[in-house]
Amino acid sequence: MRKIKIRRKRWDGVQIVSTVLLLFFTVIILIPFWNAVVISLETARAYSLHPFSFLPMEFTLDNYKEMFEKGDGLLLAYQGTLITTIFGTVAGMTISVLAAFAFSRQFPGKKLFFRVMLFTMFFGGGLVPTYLLYRNLGLLNTYAGVIIVSLVSVYNIIIMKNGFEGTPMELQEAAMIDGANDLVIFGRVMLPLQKPIIATFTLFSMVGYWNNWYWPMLMLTKGNKNVLQLFLRGVVNGTILNNTSGTSMAAEQQQFPQGIKMASVFMVMLPIMLVYPFLQKYFTKGILLGAVKA
Amino acid sequence: MKKKNLTQEIWKARYLYLCLLPLFVWLIIFQYGPMYGVILAFKKYNARLGILGSEWVGLSNFKRIFITPIAKQAIINTLQISVSRLIWEFPMGIVVAILLTEMPGKKGKKVVQTVLTFPHFLSWVVVASILRNFLATDGAINVLLDSLRIGKVNFLGNEALFRPLLYATANWKEMGWSAIIYMAAIAGIDPSLYEAAECDGASRLQRIWHITLPGIRTTIAIMFILAVGGIMSAGFDQIFNLNNAMVENTARILDIYVYDLTFRSVPDYGFTTAVGMFTAVINLVMLLGANQVVYRLTGEKMFR
Repeated sequence: MRKIKIRRKRWDGVQIVSTVLLLFFTVIILIPFWNAVVISLETARAYSLHPFSFLPMEFTLDNYKEMFEKGDGLLLAYQGTLITTIFGTVAGMTISVLAAFAFSRQFPGKKLFFRVMLFTMFFGGGLVPTYLLYRNLGLLNTYAGVIIVSLVSVYNIIIMKNGFEGTPMELQEAAMIDGANDLVIFGRVMLPLQKPIIATFTLFSMVGYWNNWYWPMLMLTKGNKNVLQLFLRGVVNGTILNNTSGTSMAAEQQQFPQGIKMASVFMVMLPIMLVYPFLQKYFTKGILLGAVKA
Repeated sequence: MKKKNLTQEIWKARYLYLCLLPLFVWLIIFQYGPMYGVILAFKKYNARLGILGSEWVGLSNFKRIFITPIAKQAIINTLQISVSRLIWEFPMGIVVAILLTEMPGKKGKKVVQTVLTFPHFLSWVVVASILRNFLATDGAINVLLDSLRIGKVNFLGNEALFRPLLYATANWKEMGWSAIIYMAAIAGIDPSLYEAAECDGASRLQRIWHITLPGIRTTIAIMFILAVGGIMSAGFDQIFNLNNAMVENTARILDIYVYDLTFRSVPDYGFTTAVGMFTAVINLVMLLGANQVVYRLTGEKMFR
């Protein structure tokens, strides 16, 4: 007992309990991910013998191969997700940043405009009328529809506006005395100074489109367009990649649905996994920007 | 004279209006555009006649909500799940934030926080896929339980276990993220308070109880009120992706019910819209109420 105390010098009970609990949470979160990755690299035979192993018993890339070979679905889904993410983020951010900039300044009718915007945060037409509108405009089964329906978040505009209001007024006034109009101020003063806020929301927008599945599910019903999350839903629910009509080779090798499912999971979350640790700073900033002052 | 000034002011701000133009085009077409559709709630939708042409039926769609057993059950389910989330999920962010503040060592803390916040950025589609694999009857957990001779448990297909599973998995995904806001609040507490307490011989637990918790009281209150404001949204994404035929009765919250009515059965758009509107109005009232309470509490409004 005494020995432990000496080794851990100033660690008291609370510190030990916090550390142990947090390590426990960390492990609890990591294990299902690890398990999924291991299964995706495993053969069906090894899985049936040891479903829960720390490392693949029989390492194989067949599940990934099969996913790429059989499902042109994956490439189509990557294409759809990339298109909606890139265009959606560029268009949505352009609209949002411009609006947030305008609302951070004074002009006649500002209050009215702001209220017209705010109202949509609390009240909407609901699922059916919205769906019917997109149908009538011919936006079902188009990426444009998927992009437009989640183009702008009023909440994010308000947070950005609040951030923009923190831009030193002297800089803006100095630019105005130099004869700069509002657009020049936006480009020369606001954009360079507020890069961190804009970067944060750009990142949020990208993650949002990457994770988008609800409206794509309602809209992209013809099968000629898809996004990653929907593809994954299809694989996991057994509607994609589960037909045994593959090559005789693959049939001989014994298909491993669980392995293919987890390979799909991995392919869908890989980009976020790669980006997240490096951009964590920006990710966490988002919530604090919106935090109500305490 | 004054009129001329206004015109001048407007002309001066012309570029600002230009900045607002794209947003308002989008708002008017895609947000205000569908709003007239709420009149569907007072109509019996007829595809041939369209929304405007369909027959008015007064409040009968709303009355139906309260006489349809499955709709009543959905309302009860929604409230039960939301309230349980307040009990089982809401405190978790506070707990994690306090644990993280008390944990010694900068590097380890950073790693833990990175892992804990990561799942927030995955969709429920991904998380549900991973958890369904992990909790499946032939999955890792059940292999473990089996080897411990406890016996297999069908986590996902068990009505009694489904809701606890919702709270546990939501915590799994979100506890690190919800801790961030409290950590920021804790970081804002005056360090001299802790020093003084230490001089007075207060133990760590006493410091948490008498300094940390009171120090983040306002943040806790605000977050709680916000959570109460969203009481009619019981977590569509999560439930939709974990749902299955065996648990659908206990999983059917209002949002799921509306979805099923709209896209799974013969659509009765009038009734569906009425249910959606019922949910939205209660949410709106709750949120505005929450805003008022926060205002009383802090003197700041979230929405003006």
